[in-house]
Amino acid sequence: MLESNVKIVNQLGLHARAAAQLVKLSSKFLSSVKIQRADSNIVADAKSILSILTLAASRGTTINITISGTDEEQALEEIEKLINAGFGEL
Amino acid sequence: MAEIKKIGCVIVSHGQVANELLSAAENVVGDLGHITAVSIGWHDEVESAKEQISRAISQVSEGRGVLLLTDMFGGTPTNISAMFYEQGEVEIVTGVNLPMVIKVANQNTEIPLTQMADEVENQGKEAIYQAGDLLIPKKMIKDA
Repeated sequence: MLESNVKIVNQLGLHARAAAQLVKLSSKFLSSVKIQRADSNIVADAKSILSILTLAASRGTTINITISGTDEEQALEEIEKLINAGFGEL
Repeated sequence: MAEIKKIGCVIVSHGQVANELLSAAENVVGDLGHITAVSIGWHDEVESAKEQISRAISQVSEGRGVLLLTDMFGGTPTNISAMFYEQGEVEIVTGVNLPMVIKVANQNTEIPLTQMADEVENQGKEAIYQAGDLLIPKKMIKDA
């Protein structure tokens, strides 16, 4: 199991289209991908748009990613890259 | 992942609401070949509306059943849609909202139509919040 903290950097935060990109990427991997706001205990499934949206993570929010499975290393690397790149919106 | 056959979906509404809901969902998740929209005009005859829905059902059906999402219980779009009800084949869920459409858009496993109808109904209800209820506690933490 791998864990990492990343900050949401794009202006619109983790909005619907950004969430859709995260789902598309996470779903490529066999590993389970969970994300949680650092300041709350609500956990979302990164393979479900509607679950991610319940986090209401705006710009500046730190989220904790937990990935578990055979391809966890590559999954974490690519997911971190997507979030740090502001979902291509920067 | 093997290609799965999807449950089809027709959004049925008064005016252009159905088309716009579908277009919003497509902007979020990409093209949705298994979902279509029927907007019933204010002056459409029942027969022509029925015909449009019937055509839409055939268009999206992949053999796993079709879910009709209508705008409001008791309204004409729902009442006409109800004529197509057939348990396990055509199910109807009223009060459509964007989260419900996104729920139908994302189908990763083949679940029975009746289960999908239940999940979409629950999703629609759970996705309604008073944003203030979520914002106030956080603001209080910040101010403390």
